Amino acid sequence: MCENNHQTSNHPSHFENQNDSNEIPTHVELKWDEFQEKIRGFRFFDPHIHMVSRTTDDYQNMAQAGIVAVIEPAFWVGQPRTGLSTFKDYYSSLVGWERFRSSQFGIKHYCTIGLNSREANNERLADEVMEILPLYIYKEGVVGIGEIGFDDQTELEEKYYRLQLELAKEAKLPVQIHTPHRDKKRGTERSMSIALEHGLDPSFVVVDHNNEETVKSVLDQGFYAAFTIYPFTKMGNKRMVSIVEEYGAEKIMINSSADWGISDPLAIPKTAALMVSRGISHDVIRKVTYENAIEAFAKSGQIHVSDFENGLSSDPSDKFHGNSVLRGGQQPKRNQNSLFID
Amino acid sequence: MISIVASMFPSYSSILYQVLQDHTTQEEIQWLDSIPKTDSLALMTSFVKTPRFIQKTTIQKTSQNLIPEIPGFQVEHWNLVRLSRVWLLTFVSDFPKDQCIQTIETLFDTAELNELVALFSALPLLPFPEVWLPKATDAVRSNMGFVFDAIAIQNPFPFQYFSELAWNQLVLKTIFNAKPIELIYGLIERKNLNLAFSTIDFVKERWAAGRDVPANVWQLVSLYVSESEISLIERLFLSEKEEDQIAASLICSESNWNSFQSLFIKYPKYKEEIQKRKWDWSKLSIVFK
Ligand SMILES: [Zn+2]
Repeated sequence: MCENNHQTSNHPSHFENQNDSNEIPTHVELKWDEFQEKIRGFRFFDPHIHMVSRTTDDYQNMAQAGIVAVIEPAFWVGQPRTGLSTFKDYYSSLVGWERFRSSQFGIKHYCTIGLNSREANNERLADEVMEILPLYIYKEGVVGIGEIGFDDQTELEEKYYRLQLELAKEAKLPVQIHTPHRDKKRGTERSMSIALEHGLDPSFVVVDHNNEETVKSVLDQGFYAAFTIYPFTKMGNKRMVSIVEEYGAEKIMINSSADWGISDPLAIPKTAALMVSRGISHDVIRKVTYENAIEAFAKSGQIHVSDFENGLSSDPSDKFHGNSVLRGGQQPKRNQNSLFID
Repeated sequence: MISIVASMFPSYSSILYQVLQDHTTQEEIQWLDSIPKTDSLALMTSFVKTPRFIQKTTIQKTSQNLIPEIPGFQVEHWNLVRLSRVWLLTFVSDFPKDQCIQTIETLFDTAELNELVALFSALPLLPFPEVWLPKATDAVRSNMGFVFDAIAIQNPFPFQYFSELAWNQLVLKTIFNAKPIELIYGLIERKNLNLAFSTIDFVKERWAAGRDVPANVWQLVSLYVSESEISLIERLFLSEKEEDQIAASLICSESNWNSFQSLFIKYPKYKEEIQKRKWDWSKLSIVFK
């Protein structure tokens, strides 16, 4: 299975192939203050972003752009993990450090936990991971099993995909499906039919990384269709706008999937700004950039909108001593327009 | 020996259960009752699932001396989830040593933030403190505020088991993180020379950076500050903040050095009030919170 990983050198992200795209990013067309003006008053929820590979600057910019909550799906960190402990550490960082770091910028952090498809191909390790998953999926703020599904569409990928669907069913948790970048259409259909075969309610399943080729079938079968806005790749945000124009807002959601590749944690607000420019109604924009994601993942019972819609209100014990949890009394926002670094 | 103690006092479990009973609903206590207390896997998953069954109601007033054998252990301002989790851990204490350690280790390994808080809060109640000591000193290094708080604030474990070095780290990091040192259990009892030196260094660094330190930090320095540091104390007298001037006065009132006595004569504003016991370090913490 490791042999497959040499392909990653062509892959700027875990799901996109730079070579099969000539899409030019559109997000630079707006000036910053025009952009800010367009999204004024919006709140955004990014249901798919890998903050573990992003910087603190990203959190500041995201908060400023109106992102109030994110979901971080467990995925591949760029190179194969060699043992169970590194999986444990990774899952723990999703529910621990990353959640904490996010809270420092007023952004509510949730996650989905799962064994990713690439690493499902290491059977020995995958079995060990399956054993510890139950200790993670019932944790506070874990809003689903994810992202799981197919990458190379191997038999082992299918085996662990099925096992995790069963786990999701038992725990009554939503599922976040990663669809493969190669042979996407077939992979997407296969993912959906297996989910149905296991008796999952499609309204509990978010199929991710859709495009024009897959969206109709996903929606027709009652699944949520998520779209990843990722520069230089298949889904730029101009095309996203067209999809919303064609299919409406029902069960459609947008995410950034920002990770260690060339990606943009502001993909949602930028796409929203573009939709505003194109005259799409605010109600529709709100649905695809905020409400639908909440509706889908709140089925976990773990999302309480009051926790973030008017700024982050943390657990009373967090703020009990009224302290700033930042080092040495740092403030969460600094003035980025100043030359002075105090 | 241990069995005699156990028979003399109610067990930790039953003391905590009493508090839980006073604060939970019928449904909540039923769930807590239904957990099999001798099955380690059941205890672990219940520990994880607690927030699904127990509300995060904050516990207000409880006895400050809840468990007489463990002075300083208290559950005031905890939420019910945290208390329920700590209570579940008291049953793990009854397991054979290996199983107890393994269960707690697994919970630590896989813990999220609130679970970590519960685990560190439970340390004073767990057997084999030497096993948990490295975890506790690690928690002091945590960048996650509430994990740090769980070990540093109102927790008697560090007071009882930390080495001087680890203790000093805890106190310094509390100051560094701008948290209230007066909430560290045993702060006064474990004052020491090395801590005073490090505190003075720290204050100098902060002043060089144009920042200040809370006035009650000076209680760590008082008794240990040497005559060569007199300019620091004078600077404190010249501070615009009343609490700094009081801190300087308290240091002079506690010092036997002649030069400090002369300084006190030069800046006598709070001398009388200190003699009349209007001011001491604890009052400084309360008034200038
Ligand atoms: Zn992803």
